[in-house]
Amino acid sequence: MWPKVWHFLSFGAPGVLIYVCFVLAPIVISFWYSLTNYNPFNPPISYVGWENYFLLFQDKEFLTALKVTSILTVIVVVVPNALGLGVALLLDRPGWLYNALRSVFFTPVILSSVVVSIIWSRLLDNEGPLNTFLRFLGVENPPGWLSDPDVALYSLASIVCWQMLGFCVVVYLAGLQGVPQELLEAAQIDGAGPVRRFRAVTWPLLAPSLTINTVVLLISAFKTYDYVKVITNGGPGAGATATIAFNVLATGFDANHVGYASAMAIVMLLIVAVVTAVVLKLLQRREVDL
Amino acid sequence: MKRVATLTAAVLLAVGLAGCQVKSDAGGTSGGGEEISFLTFETPNLTPDYWNAAIKRVTDKHPEIKVKKLVAPTADGRTAYAKQLLQSGQFPDVMIAVTPAGFAEAGELYAWNPDELKDFQFPTANPIKGKYFQLPANTQTIPPIYYNKKLFADAGVTGEPKTWDELLAAAEKLKAKGTTPFVIGGGKDGFASSMILAGIVSTDLYGKNKDWMTQRREDKVKFADADFQAALTKFADLANKGYIDKASVSRDYAATEQAFLDGKGAMYPMGNWFAANADTKKPAFDIGVFNFPTADGKLIVPAYTGGGMIVSANAKNLSAAKKFALAFQLDKTQLDQSVKADGLFPAIKGYTPPADTGPVFKAGYKLYEDAVKENAVVHTFRWETADDGLLPGMTDKVDQAAQDLITGRKSVADVAAFLDTEWNKAR
Repeated sequence: MWPKVWHFLSFGAPGVLIYVCFVLAPIVISFWYSLTNYNPFNPPISYVGWENYFLLFQDKEFLTALKVTSILTVIVVVVPNALGLGVALLLDRPGWLYNALRSVFFTPVILSSVVVSIIWSRLLDNEGPLNTFLRFLGVENPPGWLSDPDVALYSLASIVCWQMLGFCVVVYLAGLQGVPQELLEAAQIDGAGPVRRFRAVTWPLLAPSLTINTVVLLISAFKTYDYVKVITNGGPGAGATATIAFNVLATGFDANHVGYASAMAIVMLLIVAVVTAVVLKLLQRREVDL
Repeated sequence: MKRVATLTAAVLLAVGLAGCQVKSDAGGTSGGGEEISFLTFETPNLTPDYWNAAIKRVTDKHPEIKVKKLVAPTADGRTAYAKQLLQSGQFPDVMIAVTPAGFAEAGELYAWNPDELKDFQFPTANPIKGKYFQLPANTQTIPPIYYNKKLFADAGVTGEPKTWDELLAAAEKLKAKGTTPFVIGGGKDGFASSMILAGIVSTDLYGKNKDWMTQRREDKVKFADADFQAALTKFADLANKGYIDKASVSRDYAATEQAFLDGKGAMYPMGNWFAANADTKKPAFDIGVFNFPTADGKLIVPAYTGGGMIVSANAKNLSAAKKFALAFQLDKTQLDQSVKADGLFPAIKGYTPPADTGPVFKAGYKLYEDAVKENAVVHTFRWETADDGLLPGMTDKVDQAAQDLITGRKSVADVAAFLDTEWNKAR
């Protein structure tokens, strides 16, 4: 009996312990903080109930961050998914050139997001290579990619899309490898053209790939922090590119309002959890078994 | 099996704890006996060698002190990093150039007594609830205006502007010549957007009322008041007249400085630390410097004194921590190094900078010395760190407000209202 218990504990306990310590406990502690006015530099802590949550939904800065995060998330979920599928279809063929191109598309994924941010902030600078090229082409006033508050968010989203594209390509390529050749041939014999074969055979069988890409992109985009911090610091101006994750850290560590920042983090967690669960449910319905 | 389980748990615990340790660079411990931890930060000017040599000079004099050097992950984030260390129970014993606000009120810092501050030129700088927590080690004038003498001459600007009207006239001539009058920045380094605003508020408001920010803390004045809005309007007008390139608000500090050194603009409002690079990088033109102009030409020089070390009140070896901090800050070689590497003005009684400093540093230092003689120094808006400073988290809001005025995204009234709203939230 005891050897079996020890056997179970030695394999099960470490994982459970790590999950409890590093996932559950921080969530519970954050939730508790969100019900307080916790400011480490202004003790004591007082219980304030749901006040932080009520304030949050009257806070223009938070609502702007919610809007910014939503726009960013929609772009980052749709664009790499669509482009990734297109690129995967083009690269789904044998030969050294295609193998090399797959590596090229995947390279940005393994780069640090901070490094990517620094490189792109130089490229998109008003005096950077892109605008210099546009001026060379005769564009007198090229866009302020990062300095125009109306454009900066879309530039930022494009950078995230650029880095995530390779991930989508690889997942779709893996999905395409799993499409049985005999189904495609049968469809072709039945008179289906390339578009019809894609719609009737390939696309339904890529449903699991779509699910993986969508969920990963959704979660990654919603918690975007590093690109914002390095490239725009939330600007230009107040809140032009400030995401919820960015505001959580600024409120918690710069303004010291840990309680209020925790309420933001909990709301963010709930939104991500609910949206992910709904999207997962909807996408999994499309998945078909062979 | 029991041993396996115990071993597994021990390994996991060790790995977990190792992951929670503070970064201490290789070979970062020197000296012997009473150990203290010392939080530093690195910049292109303040390299690992700079810090190691500075620590060694102190431990050579005080061999009983053993120093464990810590390095903040980023230079700008050193105060936030200190907050994280405090909350994880790893608050360093000694920290340099970390803002004391917040830590002091929470009782985490040692309050220096007058006898310990006797060698400092401004021992009563930056009081927090009547006590002094940060060694007032150096002064920084923020912002004098550095200028490109060749571009001034090419545009027919003769003499250095002393009044606001003279500054506008110079900017107009430069613009007419196709030169960008002011070089500013922003992006991840928001302070580079608000330098001019800091100068205007300091000279216009603080010049008349040195206690303006203290009164803001007491709600006796507001950002929406007419005088503050007038300062915001002066700043916004510079952008509206095309004297500031709106596209520059996304350019980080390093690129901004390089833009000025490359001759892409005529005037560069920046802290006096720029003098170190101005002298060492030797651009293709001569650089001059003048005080931030005032409305009527009256001498008012915004500056910040502080930037020194703070010591944890709960340091295990408090005596050694205090001794190290004072010895570090008063070491003549260290002071000379800080002048040459970072263009600082040491605020130590009887100190004179080395004779071999560059011309830009000398010119800026002379402006500051003259202002001290005339008792014309005021605090710099946005850069204060004590009871008369912005509330925690507000500096970023000021930078954002400046960017909104530069890009024209918000009106002056909207920006003033934004600052008051954020102020109320920051309380």
